[in-house]
Amino acid sequence: MHYVIDSLWRGAVQLVRRPMYVLMIVIMPVLCAWFLMDLLKTGSVQRVPVAMVDLDRSGVSRRMARNLGSFQQVEITNHYTSFAQAKDAVQRGRVMGFFLIPEDFEENLLGGRQPVLSYYVNYAYFAPGSMQYKSFKTVSVMVGGSVVQTVMRTVGLRDEAIKPLLLPYATHVHMPGNPYLNYNYYLNASFVPTLLSLFILMVTAFALGTELKTGLSVRWLHRAGDNIVVALWGKLLPQTVLFTVVGWFIQWMMYVKFHFPLNCSPWTMILAMPLLVMANQGFAVTMFCFAPNFRFGTTLCTLFGMLSFSFCGFSLPAESMYPWVAAIGHMMPSKYFFLITTDQALNGLPLYYSRVYYAVLIAFTLLPLPLLWRLKHEAADPVYIP
Amino acid sequence: MFKVMRNEFRLVLADQGVLVFFLLLCFVYPILYSLIYNTEVARDVRVVIVDDSRSHASRKIVRHIDATPEVSVVGVVPSMSEARDCMARKECYAIIHIDRDYGRDGENGLQRHISAYCDMSVMVRYKNVLSGLVGATQDDAQRTQAAAVAPVLYNHGGIVNAQHVPIGNSGMGMASAILLFVLPLVLQQSMLLGIGMLHGGSIERRRHCAGHDPLEVKAGVVATVLGKSMCYLTIYALPTVFVLHVTPHLFDFPQNANPLAVLALSLPFLLGVSLMGQTIKVFINERESTFLMIVFSSIVFIFLSGASWPRFEISTFWKAVGDVVPGVWMSNAYVLMQSDGASLWQVARHVAILWGQCAIFFVLACMVEKYVSRPRYARYQALAQEDPGLARRMELHKNGD
Repeated sequence: MHYVIDSLWRGAVQLVRRPMYVLMIVIMPVLCAWFLMDLLKTGSVQRVPVAMVDLDRSGVSRRMARNLGSFQQVEITNHYTSFAQAKDAVQRGRVMGFFLIPEDFEENLLGGRQPVLSYYVNYAYFAPGSMQYKSFKTVSVMVGGSVVQTVMRTVGLRDEAIKPLLLPYATHVHMPGNPYLNYNYYLNASFVPTLLSLFILMVTAFALGTELKTGLSVRWLHRAGDNIVVALWGKLLPQTVLFTVVGWFIQWMMYVKFHFPLNCSPWTMILAMPLLVMANQGFAVTMFCFAPNFRFGTTLCTLFGMLSFSFCGFSLPAESMYPWVAAIGHMMPSKYFFLITTDQALNGLPLYYSRVYYAVLIAFTLLPLPLLWRLKHEAADPVYIP
Repeated sequence: MFKVMRNEFRLVLADQGVLVFFLLLCFVYPILYSLIYNTEVARDVRVVIVDDSRSHASRKIVRHIDATPEVSVVGVVPSMSEARDCMARKECYAIIHIDRDYGRDGENGLQRHISAYCDMSVMVRYKNVLSGLVGATQDDAQRTQAAAVAPVLYNHGGIVNAQHVPIGNSGMGMASAILLFVLPLVLQQSMLLGIGMLHGGSIERRRHCAGHDPLEVKAGVVATVLGKSMCYLTIYALPTVFVLHVTPHLFDFPQNANPLAVLALSLPFLLGVSLMGQTIKVFINERESTFLMIVFSSIVFIFLSGASWPRFEISTFWKAVGDVVPGVWMSNAYVLMQSDGASLWQVARHVAILWGQCAIFFVLACMVEKYVSRPRYARYQALAQEDPGLARRMELHKNGD
């Protein structure tokens, strides 16, 4: 028993005496989480700078410009008198797209000669691109609609009969859990815990690596009675506690301060946090058992930590990736925490549907057990390779 | 200065860890990232249909929805509760519900009602369901409209011919949009990691050799800073060409830039990064703590560059933070050149700012070297002379032994 307490004491003292730990366990994760949430706090992309190229200068074209200007998603920042000017503005990054009304547009429209409207959307910027598309498309559809409406009224149709003609389909799209299409709720619900995971992986690798590098791992093992499980327990448990508390604070920021959707019992997410922390620690220890060397072990952990942002399918869904990419995504703890978050916090499903994900997180914690002998071997006789 | 440069070359080439950062990272990361996103777009998001109308018209719209590239109908289930269960089991990611009066409403000249319920866990799925549904219904809507006005306008086509012209990234792919931002940042982060690790190694040598670095060349402050930068610039010639020119070629990203113009742009960028690295190295005291200090900042820089969240939407404070980083200006200029075919002249503002950053970071790096690093080494030396066993005891103390 005194071995356990001694190891724990040693692990806790280290956290206080190396400023790196405080910085990387407490300050940076909280700061980064705040950065991401504050950066996206407006929730949706609005007022994309666009340009209007009105070569017609007629009543209809001005009305279209006013219509476009009234959209929340775009803002007409510049008016140009030629295509070349607008293109130059796009290339200089001043506007992200433009709407072009050709000469004699009104005349051709009323004459029924199918005038061509074109809108140029710069998809080099992904989110603003789709916002522009939406607004431009609506404006161009509305022009056609207004002509139809006028013609139908002339013929003598009542407005109630015209509406189904203009909009034959009423499509109602429901977005359960995120009805405002808030980008902050969507992106940071996955990115922030994954960033925390990156910190956990790196700090765990750093903690083990420092022992090996300084050659103090011999004492580390000795003070745990030559029992690697006790030694690891003593070293990592204080970090687990600290990381969990930081994780809870971040969850408080997410769900209370920034009002992320939380459609399940808060306890579901609160309890998932220590599981995420321990799963990542288990993952890092496993990596370290594979490569019991400071630099290699840390490199592996960093590599997986960084790649999990892309492999786990937060932005491009897993089923659209190459199968091997999706498969690697399933090797990472963050993936399962993401699935728990979407199932529970976002969609509010019964716990039954997420049972596997909880089990996998626990399995990650136990993963290094069969490989610990390698770490013990290395710790008893550390060799530092720079 | 050339002595410093030559010596730095020797250090880099002898150090496996730094070589991994400088070279391997630059070759592996862009390829790996590009492969992840190489499918570019999502296709055939799985949906189930709840068809309460069961009419000829409803079956037709289901066929139309299934035929769009965006979604794929995986089943028709009798009730909403069953559909919800499908969604909970992730057998589908959206439910499309067709109203009971769907068929009759159309025949009576009323609006037809369709509802969709999308899983919001990944935004792309929602976008696909929306555009699949709109695509399927709008085709039909346009035909109805044109038919109604045809006798009056003597026109059997549409009323307005609206053309959607995607520019820049004309394939509208995700990889082409995001990766072009990421590529310059890979160069930046790998160089920062390498510089940090070299500096960490030097500090460790000082710790073990009574405050002296046996592998260091004595030189003035300016010569040291510039000599090191020259070394890094030379090493990065090859990775830069690979990352900024070959990678887009390999994965068919937009390549509208003049390669020489890109090289001209990357000169101030790389110089700026090397000087920035020599400024922030002051926070690094160990080879391996480089990982901890630098790696997570990649995520921060990617967001500051505007790859996923546009820069005009970022608050002034964070924009100012981003403005300090050479990679942010570089990636924005690089995107304008590669995607939109901007000339060097059109991104002159970015180039000027990059050179400005070089000047600022040069002054900062020199100040750090003169007023922080060198006094610190002197302190190490003084302490080591007083008490040679101090370093080891400090290590023990920190570990709680």
